[in-house]
Amino acid sequence: MNLQRVLGVFFRYFYVMRSGLHHLSDLFYWPFVDILLWGLTSLWVQSQESQASNLPLILMTGLIFWQVCWRGSVDISISLLQEFWQRNLVNFFSTPLKFSEWITGIILLSLCKLVITVAFGAVVVYLLYALNVFTVGWAFLPFAVSLLIFGWTIGFIASSAIVYWGHKVEMFAWMIGALFAPFSAVFYPVSILPAWAQIISWSLPTTYIFEGMRSILHNGAFPVQFFWISISLNIIFLAASIALFKFMFEKSRDKGLSRLE
Amino acid sequence: MLSVRKLKKEYGKKQPFIAVDETAFDLKKGEILGLLGPNGSGKTTTIQMLLGTLTPTSGSIFYFGKDFFKNRSEILQHVSFASTYTSLPYVLTVEENLKCFGRLYGFSNGMDRALPLLERFGMLEKRHSKVSSLSAGQITRLMIVKAFFTDPKVVLLDEPTASLDPDVAHDVCKFLLEQREKSDLSILFTSHKMEEVAELCDRVIVLKKGKIIADDLPKNLAKSVSTHRLRLTIVDGMKRTISFAEQKGIAFQVNHRSIVCSLKENEIPGFLNLLMQAGVSYASILIEEPTLEDYFLKIAGKNP
Repeated sequence: MNLQRVLGVFFRYFYVMRSGLHHLSDLFYWPFVDILLWGLTSLWVQSQESQASNLPLILMTGLIFWQVCWRGSVDISISLLQEFWQRNLVNFFSTPLKFSEWITGIILLSLCKLVITVAFGAVVVYLLYALNVFTVGWAFLPFAVSLLIFGWTIGFIASSAIVYWGHKVEMFAWMIGALFAPFSAVFYPVSILPAWAQIISWSLPTTYIFEGMRSILHNGAFPVQFFWISISLNIIFLAASIALFKFMFEKSRDKGLSRLE
Repeated sequence: MLSVRKLKKEYGKKQPFIAVDETAFDLKKGEILGLLGPNGSGKTTTIQMLLGTLTPTSGSIFYFGKDFFKNRSEILQHVSFASTYTSLPYVLTVEENLKCFGRLYGFSNGMDRALPLLERFGMLEKRHSKVSSLSAGQITRLMIVKAFFTDPKVVLLDEPTASLDPDVAHDVCKFLLEQREKSDLSILFTSHKMEEVAELCDRVIVLKKGKIIADDLPKNLAKSVSTHRLRLTIVDGMKRTISFAEQKGIAFQVNHRSIVCSLKENEIPGFLNLLMQAGVSYASILIEEPTLEDYFLKIAGKNP
């Protein structure tokens, strides 16, 4: 074994890693988010509050529901990134395609993928753990829609950065969504979060959905008010994120879309 | 068909760089207009602005008498583009790509429109192949098909033949002329192959450092270079020939028994007379007129 060749390989990846803060996400960002999310979940599981018989169902439903949000987010960003990766951006935007048509097309595909993802996830959970995540009943549908819309919001926020800064921030497609998970109370109630985090939490539409989901699983009551608050916040967030994306897209067009390929 | 006025693109604020500096030109119906210039002269920047993928700092672009910035989608319905420097989604097949692009232009029958063109470029048997499996030349041909299958009125081509073998490149040029004859379409064409530009273009615009420095017929641009090439195969007296060339300040290149001297047309008789008086004998003589390539080298600063 030649040490210089080993070092050649080592430095080849080391230089990539230190070439920007975005490459340090593996070292710091993901461990931090995981520790936060699973640490808080563990704290709640240990507490008296969680000693219900339906704990596995709550966790599994949370997991499936978070997938809805996550998928929506990643679908939006990856659609944009695909045009980068395949050097198709200039071809694409030199056609009569309008910005609104592009967004609508991506959203349509995201809806189709949601149905497949949720159906697949639900079947796997049922087969492996004999749990029916549709226990929440018809409330599942509006909840899923609300989560998906927030997923799109996260996707457009990530895409706003990607469309301007290009490849060097492409990991935002996966990173930004994960940042919202600890604050959305996916696996635990908002009450276990510190006070400052609860303020952030209650400003997110996802929190109302996950709290509502737990409410149904605990006592069967559909929290109508939570649903409407969630939808209202979603409309505001989605409109703002699309406006931000459009703004950043035009800023990027100022510099030239071809530089992103 | 296309009217460009005072088009400018400036990058940066602290250290401003002007990529395109208030250019103005027209592309007439049925015209093939060449856009020439050394690397970094602003050709691709101009094309990107004409496509709407780069926002100009100032100036106006009118297609078919309509403001491009106010009617982008409507105008791009009749404008298409091909470049060696972009690609197509490589995980999609040729057919899937053309179907998608057809839909972007509002056609549900994209493949029906594309089939004759795929056949024309010998790509029919590749219709079910993924773009990732195509050679660079095949991708370029697919780009040409993509540019023409929507029946455009204006086509912008950025070095469309750069990756093609000479015979295929020649075929593409022939196709462009056929399309112009058939549909009276207008083409804006950039290339580094000067022979191709001379053969294809009705008119040539020359850019240098973002400014238009010439707008003329290809043959007139070539004529503007006064230097001719005098190619002699020397039988006896190479050293004397070199000595005379040096004395007269004539640029030359020697290759075995052959010498190529660059000099003005009216200097040729005097130089030959000088060689004759010195007893230099040569087996062959060839006087080459300046070409568009000579013009290009001159403006790029690589030729005297």
